[in-house]
Amino acid sequence: MNHPLDIQADAAVLSLRGVSKKIGSKKIVDQLSFDVHEGEVVGLLGPNGAGKTTTIRMIAGLISMTEGDVFVRGSSIRHEWKNAIRHIGAIIENPEFYPYMTGYDNLKQYQRMNSWISNERINEVVRLVGLEHAMKKKVKAYSLGMRQRLGIAQALLHEPSVLILDEPTNGLDPAGIREMRDYLKTIAREEGISILVSSHLLLEMEQMCSRVVVIQDGKLVTVRSIGENSAAAHEEKNFVRVMFRVGRLEEAKNVLGNMDNAEVLQVAEEQSELLVALRYKDIPDMVTALGAAGVPIYQITELKQSLEDEFLKWTGGNRIA
Amino acid sequence: MRNFNNLVINEWLKMSKKRSFFIPYAIIAVAMVVLAWAFKRWAEDMFGNAFEYTAMMASSNGFGHIVAMLAVIFTAGLVPSEHAQGTIKFLLIRGQSRGKVLASKYVAALLFILSMFVWLNVFGFASGAVLFGMEQPAGAWRDILIATGSSLVYSIVFMTLTFMLGVLTRSAGAAMGVGTAALMLSSLIIPKSFYKYVLFPNADLSVYSHGGHPPIEGMTLPFSIAVLAVYIVLFLGASFVTFKRRDIA
Repeated sequence: MNHPLDIQADAAVLSLRGVSKKIGSKKIVDQLSFDVHEGEVVGLLGPNGAGKTTTIRMIAGLISMTEGDVFVRGSSIRHEWKNAIRHIGAIIENPEFYPYMTGYDNLKQYQRMNSWISNERINEVVRLVGLEHAMKKKVKAYSLGMRQRLGIAQALLHEPSVLILDEPTNGLDPAGIREMRDYLKTIAREEGISILVSSHLLLEMEQMCSRVVVIQDGKLVTVRSIGENSAAAHEEKNFVRVMFRVGRLEEAKNVLGNMDNAEVLQVAEEQSELLVALRYKDIPDMVTALGAAGVPIYQITELKQSLEDEFLKWTGGNRIA
Repeated sequence: MRNFNNLVINEWLKMSKKRSFFIPYAIIAVAMVVLAWAFKRWAEDMFGNAFEYTAMMASSNGFGHIVAMLAVIFTAGLVPSEHAQGTIKFLLIRGQSRGKVLASKYVAALLFILSMFVWLNVFGFASGAVLFGMEQPAGAWRDILIATGSSLVYSIVFMTLTFMLGVLTRSAGAAMGVGTAALMLSSLIIPKSFYKYVLFPNADLSVYSHGGHPPIEGMTLPFSIAVLAVYIVLFLGASFVTFKRRDIA
């Protein structure tokens, strides 16, 4: 593929270059390009039906591409599939196993398919996901959480460079979601693996990823680094939005309203709250001024624009399911 | 090659670790013993020795037909169950080509059929030896070999048809239903000359043994073998082309 960004393909662990999938006349994924670098955790974010699952499946070679190509450590998934796929570990939707076999027998199945996986490696990944005691149990007796962990184990078995996960927390309870997140963080750190994870759960992505790729209707909407915005907000020249919960609301409003470096955006009578726009460095001055006027302050909160707000902005909001 | 052997081992384990795996072998073993006893009890003159009994049991008129049915039933799910369980997603991202994965499933199915016929012969001969004696008539081994061989081909033909249906429909039920229906209908022969190019009248090669008459005028053993080969190539071709191109959604 002659794509202007081709040069970068070697530096990234995983690169998508103009990937498209057309079914009939409908474009499910349209000219999608992005990179995942060494040791990075990247989120693929989008409303339902945006093309996340199709994209993930194209990366794994389960679905054919209409246009474009995916490179894994420089190998094309279209033309050198065997070289490319050996670097990929994947959990696509819920991890499914042969229920009538034990966890160990299931892992053995995958060991036989890649000659370089040793028995020690099986034990190592089993220890990593903490399933030592369940290996002799049949998978049908596993809880969903245990299946997810066995799913991680099978994905790591052949020592991949990049892990691709499609909605890995689907169907898990809050404890399971947290456990999953912790495992993925551990893996990224201990095994030095890059992770691409698709989800529509914003909070999840915010807590797990260093970067998100937002797609909608199969098209790239934006690529954002997480944490970038809040870091920028703390630079002194930037305005922040701060909520003050105070005792005497009227008085507080007068005090803040009279300062020329602050602007009262909103007054909430019932909660006795003021929403003020001001520079980050001026916050102490405001507190001093309120204190001097004898206004009791109960709470000061910076209102950050969350990923959710941004997400709704990017995708037009109404499309979220 | 070692890689491919491992894939076949995987497929064999997937079949054999199921709790229902012993059923076809149990059916064959019990039938061999019970039938031998029943013949001895009610039709004593029918078999003079273990060789005759085994050859009869292995033939497609005897228990060979039932083995073909067991083969259809127990291999119908080979491909569909991977789709149904969702395990196909893990199976096809392991760096083994789809062609190899499908071939390993087909080889495992062939081994399954082969093992059933070995089992049938062992139990048939053993129960025959106890009840009818070991006296060996001329050409006894040859008869057993012809009976087993033609039943083996018969089973493989219908297994291959079922295998293809499993790949195409991704439904074990549909593959099993159509496969067994085809097996039942195979003995219906329409005495028209076009019908000799249809799979059914050619599937049972044992009609040519012992100077027997072909089901339709003009059919010969090489003709039937050629027709069967063409059908098997078509069935496998359709299976592999479909399986290799399919989007796993």
